[in-house]
Amino acid sequence: MFHSYYSKWKYIKRTMLFVGVMMVLLLSSCQSDDNETVILELPSHFPAPVYDFSNNPITSEGFELGKKLFYDPILSKDSTISCRSCHAQVHGFADHNVAFSTGFGGRLGSRNSPPTVNLIWNTSFMWDGGVNHLEVMPIGPITDPNEMAETLTGIIAKLQNHRKYPSLFSNAFGSKEITSQKLLYAIAQFQGSIISANSRYDDMIQGKVLFTDDEAAGHNVFKENCAACHVPPLFTDFSFKSNGTVPKKMEEGRERITLDPLDYGKFKVPTLRNIELTYPYMHDGRYFTLVQVLDHYQDCHTNEMEVDPILSRGITLTALERKQLLTFLKTLTDAPLLRNNKFSEP
Amino acid sequence: MTRLLYFLAIITIIGSSFISCKDDDDDTTATKGDATIFFDHKWGATLEDFTLNSKLNHPMLNQEMTFTTFKYYVSNIKLKSEDGGEWWTQPESYFLIDATSDAASTISLKDVPAGHYTEIEILYGVDSLRNVSGAQTGVLAPDLGMFWSWNSGYIMVKAEGTSPSSSTGSFAFHLGGFKGPNATLLKKTYVFNQHLEIDGVSTPKVTFVDNPARLWHGAQGLDIISNQMAPGELAKSMSGNFYNNITFKEITK
Repeated sequence: MFHSYYSKWKYIKRTMLFVGVMMVLLLSSCQSDDNETVILELPSHFPAPVYDFSNNPITSEGFELGKKLFYDPILSKDSTISCRSCHAQVHGFADHNVAFSTGFGGRLGSRNSPPTVNLIWNTSFMWDGGVNHLEVMPIGPITDPNEMAETLTGIIAKLQNHRKYPSLFSNAFGSKEITSQKLLYAIAQFQGSIISANSRYDDMIQGKVLFTDDEAAGHNVFKENCAACHVPPLFTDFSFKSNGTVPKKMEEGRERITLDPLDYGKFKVPTLRNIELTYPYMHDGRYFTLVQVLDHYQDCHTNEMEVDPILSRGITLTALERKQLLTFLKTLTDAPLLRNNKFSEP
Repeated sequence: MTRLLYFLAIITIIGSSFISCKDDDDDTTATKGDATIFFDHKWGATLEDFTLNSKLNHPMLNQEMTFTTFKYYVSNIKLKSEDGGEWWTQPESYFLIDATSDAASTISLKDVPAGHYTEIEILYGVDSLRNVSGAQTGVLAPDLGMFWSWNSGYIMVKAEGTSPSSSTGSFAFHLGGFKGPNATLLKKTYVFNQHLEIDGVSTPKVTFVDNPARLWHGAQGLDIISNQMAPGELAKSMSGNFYNNITFKEITK
């Protein structure tokens, strides 16, 4: 009796195990990988993003791989420069308050490193808008001889021979074979997730806090004088404008991309998010303080180039309005983002 | 009884997996077949064989050139059937023709519906959509040296080499651009002189002839311009002169 009960139980256990194994096998056979898709939480007061994650669904494995790559100097020719070198979290993902970034062999770039936040809303990338898609954006700094001076094939070879990366790629994309698309997908998953939407300004807009009188007055000064181009909530309209910062060196700006002489010296309107921390300002980092920037806008007329008509009369502010505006601009600092471990060096 | 129940459960699970995972494999009768398209590279008015790493004289410029690279994109191939119905459109139709070898200059048309075809449509270059769609794979992967990092878009034609006429001793023409008046895309339709017959048995070969010397029909010599690495009028005219001269030669079995 005992014996037959025991063997029957063993039989049931064995059968259940078999059924269980079959089910796992079948489930895994129906999908390329069994990663959970991570839903990116989009701020309710932001418009719909431009970048579409449907071709590149975020998974925790893909995001973590992208983060590891972002912080790994293996992406540069001599393993000295990582994305982080010029896009530091403490500076709102801009460089460490230098006009031009130092790249491979100590070479200097020619434009100020922009903050890489809210990229999924960007309609183009780089100061001249030459790059048209989030996924191909990193190819610029990776291959620029003044930046990382590497090639995609060089990186793929290094990653493929690396102790850890093949299995990390396998976890994220279902195969150990590393391709440029997987590399760029992973980086896009990380970079695309960096969203700045939790500043004091955002809290105010969502009714969570009230601005002080100075901040509110500064907000009004901003709306009257700046918001036409620095359109909230992204604080840019992604257009290309000449603001009278005459290029100091061989630099055509937007004209290099459009070949239209009318675009000479035009650059993309930059976001003002975390502006307090992303100095120096302008395409070439010529101004180290916001006061200098306000001085510039007071009279941006120049005989050397066309200046956007919206600035034809300059932006003249009283001393009080300036002070209020500067107070307002500080409300765009997103402290929770700057200390969010999710985006920090692993 | 329990044994039977478990058996049924397993059968059900296996059975349902066939339903959920099944690819639609249509009827397997010979309703489809293959063909190849070969781009034969010839040089100048004499149509001598064009090969990389050998000295060639450009007859119009009277300049010596040695090519180290010659590549160009071909895409969106369509075939017009004899019955005049809808054109057959090749899915994921992107190819990088590379003069390194005949094999790399041959593209393959797979699973073409059986029938007789009278015309072919080819887009020289990569269609604008794929120029704005991020990281691609295969011949469109951005690591093949055919994608601009600073001005997103494909280099549609790449010609590099050396020449004593160039002040630097070398030349490099990266011709591309997909937007506006300087788009380097050209759609061409060719009427075959005989039917392309897809029967699922033989693999007919359609031969086209291209002529890299045509890049300089209208362009200045290498003593004046030996580099073009961006979209623009010159990229458009050079690539256009090259594409326009690509001719249909023959269909062979």
